[in-house]
Amino acid sequence: MSIEKGTISSQQLLFLMAGFVQGSVLLIDFTVGITEHQTWMVILAGLAIAAPVVFSYVVLAKRFPGMNLVQINDMVYGRFLGKAISIYYIFFFMMTLSFNIRDVGELYITFLMPDTPFIFLLIVFTATCAYAVTKGIEVLARVSHLFVVTGMLVITSTFTLLTSQMDFSNFLPLFELPFIRMFQGIHIVSAIPFGETVAFLMIMGCLNKTEHAVKSTFFGLLIGAVSLLIVAVRNTAVLGRTQAIWTAPSFQTIRLIDIGTVLTRMDFLIGIAQTILIFLKCSILFYVLAVALSHLLGLKSYLPLVLPIAGIEVIIAATVFQSPVDHAMITQNAGIIYSAPLIFIFPPLSLLIANIRGLPKNGKG
Amino acid sequence: MGKKMKIILKCLLFFFMLMTLSGCLSAREINDLEIVVGIGVDKDEEPGKILLTAQVVKDTAGRASENGSEGDGKAFWNVSSRGNSVFDAVRQITYKTGNRLFISHNKAVIFGYDIAAEGLEEYIDYFLRAHEMRPTALILVAEGRASDILNIKPEIEKFPAFNIAKLVDSYVFTSNFYKVNMKEFASCLMSDTSAQMAPLVSIAQDEESNDIYMSGMVVFKRGKMVGKLTHDEVRGLLWVLGKVTSGVIIVPSPNGQGKAVLEIIKAKSKVTPEIKDGKIVIHIKIKEESSLSEQTTTENLADNKALEKIQEALAEAIRREIMLTFDKSRELDADIFGFGEMLHKKYSKEWKYIKDNWDEIYPTLDLIIDVEARIIKTDLLKKPAVPSEGEK
Amino acid sequence: MFGYILRKIRYFSLKNKNDHMLQNNEPGKDHNEPISHDLKKSLEVIRGILRGSSDITIHEFNFGHNRRYKGALVFIKGMVDMEAIHKNILQPLMYDSLLLQGNVDMDFTKMDTIRKNLISITESQKVTRLGDLLDNLLAGSSILLVNGSKEALAIKPGRRESRSIEEPGTETVVRGPREGFVENVDVNIALIRRKIKDTDLCVEKFVIGDKSKTDIYIVYLKNIANPKLIEEIRIRLERIKTDAILESGYIEQFIEDSPYSIFPTISNSEKPDKVAAKILEGRAAIMVDGTPFVLVVPMVFVESFQSAEDYYARPFLASVIRIIRFLSYIISTLGPAIYVALTVFHQELIPTQLLISIAEGRERVPFPAIMEAFLMLFIFDILREAGVRLPKSVGQTVGIVGALVLGQASVEAGLISPIMVIVVSTTAIASFVVPAQTDSGTILRYIYLILAGIAGGFGVIMGLLATLMHLASLRSFGTPYLWPIVPLDFSGLKDVFIRMPLWIMPERPKAIVWDDVDSYSQSPGLMPSPYKKDSNDSQ
Repeated sequence: MSIEKGTISSQQLLFLMAGFVQGSVLLIDFTVGITEHQTWMVILAGLAIAAPVVFSYVVLAKRFPGMNLVQINDMVYGRFLGKAISIYYIFFFMMTLSFNIRDVGELYITFLMPDTPFIFLLIVFTATCAYAVTKGIEVLARVSHLFVVTGMLVITSTFTLLTSQMDFSNFLPLFELPFIRMFQGIHIVSAIPFGETVAFLMIMGCLNKTEHAVKSTFFGLLIGAVSLLIVAVRNTAVLGRTQAIWTAPSFQTIRLIDIGTVLTRMDFLIGIAQTILIFLKCSILFYVLAVALSHLLGLKSYLPLVLPIAGIEVIIAATVFQSPVDHAMITQNAGIIYSAPLIFIFPPLSLLIANIRGLPKNGKG
Repeated sequence: MGKKMKIILKCLLFFFMLMTLSGCLSAREINDLEIVVGIGVDKDEEPGKILLTAQVVKDTAGRASENGSEGDGKAFWNVSSRGNSVFDAVRQITYKTGNRLFISHNKAVIFGYDIAAEGLEEYIDYFLRAHEMRPTALILVAEGRASDILNIKPEIEKFPAFNIAKLVDSYVFTSNFYKVNMKEFASCLMSDTSAQMAPLVSIAQDEESNDIYMSGMVVFKRGKMVGKLTHDEVRGLLWVLGKVTSGVIIVPSPNGQGKAVLEIIKAKSKVTPEIKDGKIVIHIKIKEESSLSEQTTTENLADNKALEKIQEALAEAIRREIMLTFDKSRELDADIFGFGEMLHKKYSKEWKYIKDNWDEIYPTLDLIIDVEARIIKTDLLKKPAVPSEGEK
Repeated sequence: MFGYILRKIRYFSLKNKNDHMLQNNEPGKDHNEPISHDLKKSLEVIRGILRGSSDITIHEFNFGHNRRYKGALVFIKGMVDMEAIHKNILQPLMYDSLLLQGNVDMDFTKMDTIRKNLISITESQKVTRLGDLLDNLLAGSSILLVNGSKEALAIKPGRRESRSIEEPGTETVVRGPREGFVENVDVNIALIRRKIKDTDLCVEKFVIGDKSKTDIYIVYLKNIANPKLIEEIRIRLERIKTDAILESGYIEQFIEDSPYSIFPTISNSEKPDKVAAKILEGRAAIMVDGTPFVLVVPMVFVESFQSAEDYYARPFLASVIRIIRFLSYIISTLGPAIYVALTVFHQELIPTQLLISIAEGRERVPFPAIMEAFLMLFIFDILREAGVRLPKSVGQTVGIVGALVLGQASVEAGLISPIMVIVVSTTAIASFVVPAQTDSGTILRYIYLILAGIAGGFGVIMGLLATLMHLASLRSFGTPYLWPIVPLDFSGLKDVFIRMPLWIMPERPKAIVWDDVDSYSQSPGLMPSPYKKDSNDSQ
């Protein structure tokens, strides 16, 4: 039984994943406060750590074809424990979604439209996400490649426009920072951009052919990671030491573009790209949340839940943090701790248990 | 059909109310903007306060000629206010303008001489933190009061601030000062060792009119102004930083009578710090190309032997300029070259011990300068028009 | 209060449904009785039913051997070709029947006999029911009744006044045929047949409309078009129950996929070469009698940007013009919105010099920018609509009035700023570049403008995202609306933003054909090159 009738192809999975990871570009800006000019190393290390974990997700999904996370949990852990774990996941999705929505609001409030009431931005954004979700995962998957291509274009073009202002000696000295900060940075990077892809466990059930799932996931992850890397390198090369003091280094970097009299003042460009990418990420999370919740409650379709979830998310996003500083502190320090079990422990554990118990039994799933 | 329509109608009503009641707050009509193109910060007579001058664009720029009798044809308005801090003063300007200032198009921030001497640390924060300020804005120090600089109406440009920005950009022609924007200034401020620099703007007092011109650079240390660099000293600095783009060097001609005037075409530099036997040595290698643009002697300089001699003289001149600057910086004990940061990048372990004593170590640095100068063309003349004695 | 409004809406929607259902159950309209034996009686019945119409002509005559057969010809004066009636029906019946010699006594109560031996018109049909007789009579046939026969012959005179084939008013081209469809559907089908002379071309007829009984044809290529598509069209056409189909637009609105969407999912055209090209790609054309606009399904969004002459010109100019069309659409929908968003919310993004110029221009304007933009767009739409309805004599004057008064004078009076005039006029001109999307473009323009006025750049982005989601979810008879951009398909992309040379595009669009049967419309490898010299050539 499946709530969603749509199917997605592995190419669309690739782009969904790439867009999802790219949506965290602003997150890199938060990490810079901790890891300064070694952010690029942290990204590579985070990718290296997250890759096997994501691999376990894909293997798990391939083992239970057509089933999504909630159903897998039910099968592997039994009904009660499985439901408890699913609730834990749903809580995670809910909070993550509200953090991301808040991210968009903060982006506009800080830079682009500072006088607009915060909740207005949240409502409009969430409403558009809700509208996209009512169309189904298939439509989202179909347009994902547009977002990814736009994101890549913006990132690479801003990189090229800034080459004249880049100073690659800003990367030296390597390995200057104490390891504890690097460790924290790696933890953040592997948990948030890469680790949140655990949400895809809900979507992989909709793949129509699972042969290329591993390749698609990896390439998607790679494209996303490359985008993050280019952004980190660009910011470090251009801003140098000042990277650590701005709240959003990406923005300041773009503001420095000043070629001729025409190619100046392009900060909105990155605002647009960022909004689009976070929109994709939020829509995916929203969809995942709606489907998971409707599975849990035993509903036939996720549509009636869309509006209530939208309302709840807006309220959470508006009230959960006091300020961007609060947001940064909590996600950097506390957020990754409560999400770590969901990302690093449970899926491989499920895989192990499934192997031991020989699931899925024939005919099931 | 009823239920779905109900939901859709309710949503539409909700959005309608949302949009119309709360949306437009961020809107500012263009006519309500006070577009600021230049800002000046000075010390006020009252202690603890600063005088902020903002140069605001007047909308009637095109129609100034219509009001023939009134108006002095100025397209800008310098409005000032006093405040306890920069942001305080910025807001107090609304007493006079009626609208908030729109700083996004600000081209330059000029600090008065007195404030620079006292220290910029207290005042620089607003210019980095305000979301409307852009890191591309220039920072300058005025030799005098900043408000005076902003008042001087330029002959060609409409706004003094535009004029100043244009002047600063002209560094490429002479390499006697260079452009510092907010981001670079902040970057230097953050460094433990580097000294910050900003261009210096002065007013030339002619008989008829006052013109502003760039008279050199100002050196800061931890935000406090410690000294000035003249044009030549700045060029010495720029040789090392590799930022020389063009300029004029005069060397005596080989036969001792007259001068050879050369135009710098291109210059590259490579700086390598080295710690040898407990002593820090900086290797500087300069490669330069220039052309013979003028000569005041009748000797024919356009042959290989003469050119070689001139090249040697040129290399010597460059070396001298660099040492001049280095001596001045030693005198001021300010690391304007950024040697500290270079050491940091190369010898990060040793750096931890060095950086605390950098003030004492800096004057003891050794410079090894190696200049390679080439003259690649002599413009349009093969021989001087006035022939020398031997050839007549 | 809400409940009251909703109840009212419900009442009206139910009322419409009921009225509709009532209509179809009218008794007695079917006229299923057979034609009477007796000529006089039949004629009386016909006269009785058609009492209100004075243009019905009934001509009684005698014919046959010894003039022993009584016959009557019933027709509607304006709809038949009188010459054909005189020459090809009455003359043979009345005169030539006398000349028939032979021992065989032909029985002229059998319509077959008359048809095969006397009537020299090819198109005729035997009718036995009164209902069919009346249908044919009202459709323009002349009905031949013979005393003593239970049958009648409906003879189509074969000519009908219609417009001559001339250049279509709405789609003019620089290069390419200038034929356009006319109102007569038979002529239209003939125009298509002249372009596709293949046995696989199928023409299926439907008659839709209770009172108009309009002829509607589906035209498609049998082995290329997807049979599921044709089946779907059939199902939707047969579902229609309405009084009249006056134009293909009625059919379009009854069978389209998303009636609530502002984007059209069925395309139409007046040019036979364009329709023929689409049929060859695997689409189906729906031709409606009485209108020169032929519907083609399925439609994808990028079709609106393609015009027939793109393919007749060489690829380079065609590609450039394609790109210009895309940009024009973007300008025409987003132009005013971006202008308002930039000047009202995000002034930091405009270069300083430009900002100062704009500020100078807007100095005396009393309205906020969004009101200004709205007003200008509105006035422009008024002008456009008036321009369509103007009699030609007044056209020039009004054009000058529009330009001078509304543009120039308003600026001078300080009502609008000059740059707004530029923005709106560019928008307006750009909106005509893509005619198929004029309706969606107009509405979108206003929506984006409102969004921009309320929430600046953020609002515009959200509006764009919502539009994208909506477009991506639309389907036109099974084909995704944004194909080939959204389900990314590289072979289809060759013809979207630029027009690749003809010899690079050998395949038919995959999303329309779906099956892999015969997807190549031309053999690949057709790139032209000069004659390759043999090694034996002396030169």
